Amino acid sequence: MISELESRQHNIVKRLRGNLKNILKKLPFPFCILCLLSCFLSLSEAKVYIDITSPVSKKLPIAIYDLQGSSGREISDLIRDDLTFTGLFSIIDKTSYIESASQAFKQQNWRPLGIDAVVKGSIRSEQDLVADITVYDVFEGREIFSKQYRSDTNLIRQLAHSISNDIYGAFSGLTGIFRTKIAFVAEDDGEKGIYIMDWDGHRARKLGLKGTLVLTPHWSVDGTRLVYSSERGRQWGIYLLDFLKMSEKRIFVSKGTNMAGDFFPSGDALTISSTKDGTPDIYALSVKDGSLKKLTFSDGIEVSSAVSPDGEKIAFVSDRGGTPQIYSMRAGGSDIRRVTFEGSYNTSPSWSPSGDRIVFSCRRGKNQICMVKPDGSALVQLTDLGNNEDPSFSPDGRYITFSSDRDGTKGIYIMRAGGEAQKKISPGGLRSYGPRWSPN
Amino acid sequence: MSGRIAGVFVIALVVVFSVAGCQQKRVTTQDAVQQEKQQQSMDEQKKGQEVVVAEKQSSSVIESVDAKDKEAQYAESKENPFSDILFDFDKYDVKDSYKTLLLSVTAWMTKNGTARLTIEGHCDERGTNEYNLALGDRRAKAVKDYLIGLGIASGRVDLISYGEEKALCNEQNEDCWAKNRRAHFVLLHRVGR
Repeated sequence: MISELESRQHNIVKRLRGNLKNILKKLPFPFCILCLLSCFLSLSEAKVYIDITSPVSKKLPIAIYDLQGSSGREISDLIRDDLTFTGLFSIIDKTSYIESASQAFKQQNWRPLGIDAVVKGSIRSEQDLVADITVYDVFEGREIFSKQYRSDTNLIRQLAHSISNDIYGAFSGLTGIFRTKIAFVAEDDGEKGIYIMDWDGHRARKLGLKGTLVLTPHWSVDGTRLVYSSERGRQWGIYLLDFLKMSEKRIFVSKGTNMAGDFFPSGDALTISSTKDGTPDIYALSVKDGSLKKLTFSDGIEVSSAVSPDGEKIAFVSDRGGTPQIYSMRAGGSDIRRVTFEGSYNTSPSWSPSGDRIVFSCRRGKNQICMVKPDGSALVQLTDLGNNEDPSFSPDGRYITFSSDRDGTKGIYIMRAGGEAQKKISPGGLRSYGPRWSPN
Repeated sequence: MSGRIAGVFVIALVVVFSVAGCQQKRVTTQDAVQQEKQQQSMDEQKKGQEVVVAEKQSSSVIESVDAKDKEAQYAESKENPFSDILFDFDKYDVKDSYKTLLLSVTAWMTKNGTARLTIEGHCDERGTNEYNLALGDRRAKAVKDYLIGLGIASGRVDLISYGEEKALCNEQNEDCWAKNRRAHFVLLHRVGR
């Protein structure tokens, strides 16, 4: 059986090689040279240390010194925590370092330890905090980058997260998420309000908005605005919060129930669900002139619209089949297709940043987080403790934030997109839910 | 009279100046962020450059808001002669057993010709917030449609959904959930002026 499989694989490889040869034969010689040259050029351009697309990629062993100077240890610990959560680095314990922090980097001090990268640096406090950071590649015995960071003295966490982003970027070639934020709803003294915290759960604070009832906020693609529904004076209105103008504006209201969906990528329109015509249907609402375009026309419930990252599709929840299920349609409202078939309660869809997955709440006894391809295939369940709702991807697509009541109180959690490393990040005791990861 | 006009003028001036003050602040933060971005792109070209770490705008706390609530013409009555209508899990059809109750609501509304009614739709906590808000809306609407069928003018009945946002009972058991899956009547009376 095995040998049969092997021989089949061998045949496939042979066939591929043959195809390649044929293609090369047909191409003019100078073109081949060009191809080869461009291959070499791209190789020399950027070395990728971590291939995040490989499921079996080995963790990168990295040594991170405590930065010399006051609060240096705090900053280094933050960097270590950031990189550890990615699951892509293994932080090598300080006790095994041979070099002292002040000695110059020497390749031969690290090679025998099997360490691939070293981070050294110092921090001093003038009027600002100034950190000098150098990152070394052990294999090649050279500096990867050396930078000076300057920040306000009370922005230690932001400073550390910025350094983490650069280290992560240097090794993965990707943009780190360590300066992103999570917006969510929390209940304080019976009043519900919108809060924002760092992605690691620190610095949570309430935006001082009116109204005692509010639903999940949604970010604009550039991260400068939030849109959400709030009940004020017995009406559910849709409100736009603009961080640049420092103002809040009601952009839509009608009798009944109005709920904000997602912004389109252009930022000048968003989807909403409104009962203005009787039953909850999906509309596109222009932020510029307030005009509405009706997208669904059913007698049942149509809510929780999520716009795909390319703006071409909308996922939403409908009970047209008898139970709430995820559907998708084109942005103009045509080509409606059912996405979920398993289970009797699937809600709260949200797209991955590349548009290749939809993550949602699926009821399996209790509510869990599930993920599926937009065509309905490759369904997986990512959680199994307590009730889990409101999933939202990080902008790099590697993590998901969601709410869970697994420890007794609803709180905000994060995990890797495969379901690993689930942990609570919102402040203990603060009943919180409806998280949305900022786009930048 | 002229005193009052002057007062309004002073308030308007204060508002204008305070708004201008806010905008001034905003420009500086934007500049800082712009600088950060430029700095970062320069860093990509040249190593050893300095990176300025600044706070993001979304960290600022929003203090003020527009949103004037319309002056209410109707206020909630303290009296509420009608009990709640309860629904099955995930359902929004009005059960036949509530016909007597809905007939008595209709009779009362006919007798009190200026009264108005708001129907609140509520859900238990087990669904997701947005879907529950829609479900609550359908529950309230189902009751409203029933009353209209019994002859009440649709203009006299408003509805609002609270989904799972205003639970009556906060324990996690079927008794409690059943109480929360409700349409609740609120009588409104005209505010005298």
